[in-house]
Amino acid sequence: MIPLPGIDASADSWPAHLRRAGRALREAARSGTVAPMTDDEPNSPRRMARWPWAWAGLVWAAAWLLMLGLDRHIGLAQAAITLVLASALAAIWLPLVSSLLTTTAAVLAFDWFIVPPKHSFSIELSEDVLLVIEILVLSWVVTALLARGRVLAARARRSARHADQMRRLGDALRDAEDPLQRGEALRAALSDLLGQPARLLVLRNAAALPENDAASTTLGDPAPDELVGLWHCVRLCRAFGPGTGHEPELPALYLPLRGTDTEAFGAALIPLEANAPHEDDVLVQAQALCDQLGQLLHRARTQRQAESAHALAQSQAVRNALLAAISHDYRTPLAAILGAASSLKDQGAKLAPEQRERLTQSIMAETRQLSRLTDNTLQLVRLDAPGVKLNLDWESPDELAGAAIERARRHDPERRLKVWAEPGLPLVRCDAVLFSQMLENLIDNALKYSDAPAPVELHVRRHGGHIVFAVRDSGPGVEPAWREKIFDVFQRGDWRTGTHNSAAQRGAGVGLAVCRAIARAHGGELQLRPRSQGGSSFECWLREEAAPGVDDRVPAPGGQERP
Amino acid sequence: MTLRVLLVEDDRELCRTLKDAMTAEGYDVFTAASLSEAFALLTGLGARSANGAPVDMVLLDLGLPDGDGEQLLAALRQKHTVPLVVISARESDGQKVRLLDAGADDYLVKPFSIRELLARMRVGLRHRGTSVSPAVTRYGVGALNIDLGTHEVTLAGQPVHLTPTEFNLLARLVRSAGQVVTHRQLLADVWGAEFTEHTHYLRLYMAQLRAKLEDNPADPQLLMNEPGVGYRIVEPQG
Repeated sequence: MIPLPGIDASADSWPAHLRRAGRALREAARSGTVAPMTDDEPNSPRRMARWPWAWAGLVWAAAWLLMLGLDRHIGLAQAAITLVLASALAAIWLPLVSSLLTTTAAVLAFDWFIVPPKHSFSIELSEDVLLVIEILVLSWVVTALLARGRVLAARARRSARHADQMRRLGDALRDAEDPLQRGEALRAALSDLLGQPARLLVLRNAAALPENDAASTTLGDPAPDELVGLWHCVRLCRAFGPGTGHEPELPALYLPLRGTDTEAFGAALIPLEANAPHEDDVLVQAQALCDQLGQLLHRARTQRQAESAHALAQSQAVRNALLAAISHDYRTPLAAILGAASSLKDQGAKLAPEQRERLTQSIMAETRQLSRLTDNTLQLVRLDAPGVKLNLDWESPDELAGAAIERARRHDPERRLKVWAEPGLPLVRCDAVLFSQMLENLIDNALKYSDAPAPVELHVRRHGGHIVFAVRDSGPGVEPAWREKIFDVFQRGDWRTGTHNSAAQRGAGVGLAVCRAIARAHGGELQLRPRSQGGSSFECWLREEAAPGVDDRVPAPGGQERP
Repeated sequence: MTLRVLLVEDDRELCRTLKDAMTAEGYDVFTAASLSEAFALLTGLGARSANGAPVDMVLLDLGLPDGDGEQLLAALRQKHTVPLVVISARESDGQKVRLLDAGADDYLVKPFSIRELLARMRVGLRHRGTSVSPAVTRYGVGALNIDLGTHEVTLAGQPVHLTPTEFNLLARLVRSAGQVVTHRQLLADVWGAEFTEHTHYLRLYMAQLRAKLEDNPADPQLLMNEPGVGYRIVEPQG
């Protein structure tokens, strides 16, 4: 029935060797090889235990000296009072049972030595019998009361100490910055309480079950079998070991770090000396310390969940706003296409050839616009998704620039485009398709917002450890207030100064937003810089990286021309 | 003789538009809206044709109701070298490259213009024609002339000196002039199969070729780059 360590144990089973170790310790204790602690105050050092006996002995010695020395001068009653006084004084230091036994012995001795007839337990006078009994009972009562008072005082001191300890742990947990420090704080508190170094298992997130070592931290180097026990304790969220009512033969105390009644966020193990009797309130205190960390972890998790739920709701809201913005952007070109096509269909015969030509041109241009919008939207959504993977390769900046210009020209051969690249640029590591999409968007944007015949230029240069792709226009420029906002997908409005270009009214949002997203996905940045002689320069900065070398010895002869 | 084109496309509107456009250009167009229909048509046409080739050109959409167009490409390539152009709305470059490597002659992403489609078809047809007749050995565009037989490259009448690797790379592109050759194909054919991941070699040698052959290497007119896919040398003139 007992599993090996590391194998998921059935709910209530414990590793056999742990049980055996516990049994061995108990037997050793029984046979006397391990000294059980006898002090009723577990934390008091033993030397303190020796002194009470000395004091009590001193008191009794003085009392007997008095009683025997002054036997002829004092009466039986005075002697009896002296005995009761000595018994009361001795009870201040001695434990209850010892105190009762000494008192009983003292009363018997009193009977033997002092009550007539001396050197005999028989008592002459019947009133003396009553006196001896009364002395015995009185001494017992005084002793018991004093012992009880002492226990209560000790408990009150312990409670104060526990409260102080809780407060100190609370402070330490609050000040701690990571789970490791928090665990150390709890370990220190437990060691302080129980006098033994504790071992801890703390889950870094509550989803760590079952036994996911990567998502948990251990402190105090628990042995593999102890770790099994700790995981077991976490799973069942219940205390095990001596004094807990569960598995009392275990050699250690296992306490769950409870966040709620049913969920533990870790567990603590405190090795115990066999039979070491602990007050119930020490166990309660140890569990309370553990729960303090457990509740802290629980609160942290709840907070994390609330935050992620909030983030999710927010991203949902962003997505909805994006959809709304995009569907708005789709309607305009669709309206133009439908208008032109229906006009061609219904009025085709009445239209002049150049009017028909203009309508077909409009259909084609708007369709391209829709196509670009679709690409951009898809890319934006893709880049927004977590864990997006780029198809990185070594690319030549010249080629990227050239391909972007060529594609822009293919769509619109009339356009005035210039490209210039600094000679000897190093290769850049990027996703060619994404990067080309960014450059085409920027070129498209520049063409749209600047009027002919002012050219649009694509410059590629090296600058301070970066490769800078700059798309420059000589348009009217962007109002300072809009220079950051135009990269926001939801912003729209007439952000160009003094333009009458109706295209400016349309959201450039998705286009520029996706450009910035692409630049950032490459670890770069996209910025808008106003040009000194008017117009804008959209600049993508990419960090320069060392490209792999090329072996001049290749190609191999096999790489020669094929028929 | 009219050239026969098989158009495999499940969207009825697009299918009719393309058919009308191609018919207007003088092609004999057969249409199929599913994989099974396309297979049946190919079998029927193949039985009737004199030279065994069922059609002269295939235009293939990928997402079909009863399967993926890639299956048709694979089946077709086992028997025929008939030119095949993929037309698809899927814009994944990994797929583009995979289809080109699997034997597709070209790849057009929807939406595209009729003019572009007709141009790609012409390139595809020309290549199949030349693969039967003696291989092309001379290439000329603008001031550039390349003779693959004599390894001579001249620009405006002046000889251009190319290293053996540069020449091999140029020759590989010229043999597929007008068509995209994928990075992988270029690396495998020029450097060898073990170099197919070394795209930085290509970047370097393409830059050297451009420096020797182009007026403005950053604004190439001859050696075109298809980002994420491969390179293409423009179609020869005349």
